[in-house]
Amino acid sequence: MPSSANASTGAKRRPNLETWNRKIHYYLGLFFLFFLWLFSLTGLLLNHGQWRLAAAANARTETRFERGIEPPAGEDDLARARDVMRQLGLTGEIELPAAAQAQGRFDFSVNRPKDASQVKVDLSTKRASVQHFQNSGWAVFRIFHTFSGSRFNAPGSHRDWILTSAWTLAMDALSAGLVVIVLGSYYMWFRFKRKNLALGIAVLAAGYACCALFLQFMWP
Amino acid sequence: MLYRWTRELHLYFGLFVSPFLLLFGVSVFFLNHAKVAVDRWTSVDTVRDVRVPAGLELLRGREAVDRAKEMLPQLDVTGEIGFTRVVTATRHFVFPVSRPGMETTVDLDLDARSAVVSRRATSVLEAFAYLHKMPGPHNVALRGNWVWTQGWRWFADATVYLTMFLTLSGIYLWYAIKAERRIGLAMAAAGAVTFFGLIYAVIS
Repeated sequence: MPSSANASTGAKRRPNLETWNRKIHYYLGLFFLFFLWLFSLTGLLLNHGQWRLAAAANARTETRFERGIEPPAGEDDLARARDVMRQLGLTGEIELPAAAQAQGRFDFSVNRPKDASQVKVDLSTKRASVQHFQNSGWAVFRIFHTFSGSRFNAPGSHRDWILTSAWTLAMDALSAGLVVIVLGSYYMWFRFKRKNLALGIAVLAAGYACCALFLQFMWP
Repeated sequence: MLYRWTRELHLYFGLFVSPFLLLFGVSVFFLNHAKVAVDRWTSVDTVRDVRVPAGLELLRGREAVDRAKEMLPQLDVTGEIGFTRVVTATRHFVFPVSRPGMETTVDLDLDARSAVVSRRATSVLEAFAYLHKMPGPHNVALRGNWVWTQGWRWFADATVYLTMFLTLSGIYLWYAIKAERRIGLAMAAAGAVTFFGLIYAVIS
């Protein structure tokens, strides 16, 4: 275990790349600790839908209600959806249907980790029917793993809720932090184990070989 | 002794899992920001005289996937079958087949015994994103119908367990350095405030 004397002597020296790299490794790891735990544990839940815990996360409570509304105002569907949400007191990420709206109807859904609402507006009768789903605690926990408001295979989907953007920024920051931690660890290993690199090279090569094996055999 | 062993294990487990962490980390940017037109096929081929398993249209779930798998060599397609769908009106049997680097949809005409195979080659980043999402939460009973998906599940799980070990051993290694405790605690506290603050804002 390193002594405090050594550490304080080290601290008095002018910090160099090695010192900064080590500090960044610690500090980023500690800053992102809770994020790492959340994405790790939810990753397990997502990969093991047969687990009792994961199955419990699928349970949700459904309620329905209808309410009269003013005709939705706005220049585009997003603005109109926001107007309907304001009238119904809903908040969250809006998801508009990929297909064009049917004549006389205006449908969309609103999603948050804790709940989701499917809104169907009959423009002729000025009534909105809402199907509301309240997610269980485990579902909320799990949804944070995928809550980005955008799907790469749905070009029409865009983030439109500021909190989704904030959470996505956190995901991006974690990913960037993870890449920095990994690359910094390579440098640290190389500096600390310069005289005995063989084992590290073997282990690192085994990791890359496993990854390459999957890509090699899975790639067409 | 404990410190030394923890440091060695932290280092070597970290080196082993690092390519997987890079793969999961880099693919997040694709998953969060990329847009792909999934209906732009690279090739569309018709395969005739397909040997269709008897009663295919009556099967559901894993059984339907297993029978669909038997046809894949005839269609020169390999990968994980996402789901199967029977279009009763036209007597077509449709199923997507995915693998890193290629998305395929098979549209089989049960009466004509011909299949339209539409392929879309994907980028390396989309392939990483595919691995990031596999096996995933959907169609649990069907997932893992390709041997490589089953294998990948093991490695995805191992990445999680090793990451948990790396974080816990990392805390121990950091805490052992007294000079780093104060700033480290401040960073952990800042991270906790950011994390729980965001969670609270999104939930409430």
